[in-house]
Amino acid sequence: MYICPVFAPTRTIARNTFREAVRDRVLYNLVFFALLLIGGAIFLGELSGGQEAKVIIDLGLSATLLFGVFIAIFVGVGLVYKEIERRTLYAILSKPVGRGEFLGGKYLGLCLTLLVNVLVMGAGVSLALAYVAGGRNPLVLRIWPTILLIYLELTVITGVALLFSSFSTPSLSALLTFLVFIIGHLSADLKSFAASLGGTTARWFFSGLYYLLPNFSHYSFITPAAHGYVPSFAELIMALLYAGVYVIVLLSAATLIFSRRNFK
Amino acid sequence: MKSSHKFEAMLSLLILLGFAGVVCLARLMDARHRDVVSASSEEQLYMKGATAKRLSLAFNGLAADWYWMRSLQYVGGKVVKYEDTHPEQAQLDDLGALDLRLLPSLLRVATTLDPQFMAPYEYAAMILPTFSQDEAVSILHYGIEQNPAAWRLYQHLGYIYWQSHDYSKASETYGAGAKLPGAPKWMAEMSARTAAEGGSRRAAREMYQHLYDESNDAQVKQLIERRLMQVDSFDERDRIRRALENYAGRSGRCAGSWREVASQMQALQLRLDPFTAAPLDPSGTPYVLTKKGCDVDLDLNSRVPYR
Repeated sequence: MYICPVFAPTRTIARNTFREAVRDRVLYNLVFFALLLIGGAIFLGELSGGQEAKVIIDLGLSATLLFGVFIAIFVGVGLVYKEIERRTLYAILSKPVGRGEFLGGKYLGLCLTLLVNVLVMGAGVSLALAYVAGGRNPLVLRIWPTILLIYLELTVITGVALLFSSFSTPSLSALLTFLVFIIGHLSADLKSFAASLGGTTARWFFSGLYYLLPNFSHYSFITPAAHGYVPSFAELIMALLYAGVYVIVLLSAATLIFSRRNFK
Repeated sequence: MKSSHKFEAMLSLLILLGFAGVVCLARLMDARHRDVVSASSEEQLYMKGATAKRLSLAFNGLAADWYWMRSLQYVGGKVVKYEDTHPEQAQLDDLGALDLRLLPSLLRVATTLDPQFMAPYEYAAMILPTFSQDEAVSILHYGIEQNPAAWRLYQHLGYIYWQSHDYSKASETYGAGAKLPGAPKWMAEMSARTAAEGGSRRAAREMYQHLYDESNDAQVKQLIERRLMQVDSFDERDRIRRALENYAGRSGRCAGSWREVASQMQALQLRLDPFTAAPLDPSGTPYVLTKKGCDVDLDLNSRVPYR
């Protein structure tokens, strides 16, 4: 397979990041715990008065998102920091590898890890649904567009984690990224808050925050998915574009900051 | 015995004794804690639905499930407690005695968190009217506001009005639901029937049958089954009463036992008890003769609702 030499370092770093993440036992624990939770949803569903499928989807996809966020944050904030701590960064940057390529590779490696995790957890939810409905539940397939939205949200969160980790400590980066995740899900309130303000400056400020911070409400489709709704093709494309553009902005900002850092 | 073995044995003994102590302490704490738990179980919810929705971030569906299951557990707990302290069983269609003051709030939070979640609306329509019809109507109106195309919510709201003998509103609600795309034809028929016949048994049977067919909830189905049995029993008792009147007219006295009228009961094609020849109600319990054999009534142990 032909690979453009420009992307070769990025690809190599991505592959190594993926390998490193796969070797990390914490990651397995998280996935195992998420799958356990999905399995537990089957038993919890029995307490729901005939709402087993809804409980499995709600619990399963929420676990997929929450554990995905944990992985994105806790692995994401350590991506750059670990390399600096272990001084392997100097060896990498002494080779013909740009700082942007390094960050891009790290980002793609974690995204690949998240993709595998999300696929495993999504398959777990589908299997649990198939088990409850005897394999004939159309929801088994209908949840996958929502799983794609969850994955897209995670790619943005990974970008945010990487941006913070490019200039801050891991603990502070984790905290800030988690706050962005929360604010991202409350952005609709931010907009209505801005609209309700009397002062023009304050209104502009909060409107600006609304547009600058990632809006994760477009990726919140777990509840409708539990009722059998599927995001439209246009919604998926828009979500994909939004995530793509936002990630480019985040990675560019991270590269800008990272390239100005002095490691001497 | 080596000193290391002795030490291990001592440690094992200590672990066993420790666990025994933990179990005793836990039991003691449970016993003291129970009063506090029961006292706080009726506290009003500290969070309104809108606040809960905001705080649940992307997990509002999961939070709604939790409130929904809490509603079921709340009712279940009350039923168990009632049955522990009363000789008779609690029935879902007559829960006035259970003091379910928290149920409307729980269902309201569940529906606010996930307005498309239909099970709490159905539960509200079936359970709440027995002690708080206004709350039931309010929750159903909220559901219709959030799901204007859901004809089932009109069916449930119509049922609440019909139960309270407000037949014109019931008919109006069924009529409004019938106009929605995807609504079955019988919604329009129910609208006409409730307007024309109000609380007739035919209307009741049809109402219950449709509710039964549309429901996925085992508890609700059980409740409706009992109501269908009640309607059947009303018909059966009318027929038995007529047969008893005929017998009294012919023989100049009321029946002394079911055996005396066994042939008349057989002619009515009723199931009879093999030992007493008493006709069996739809739940399989023998009817009883009342007013010195001139009338018929349900046995006190029957599963058929009396009211």
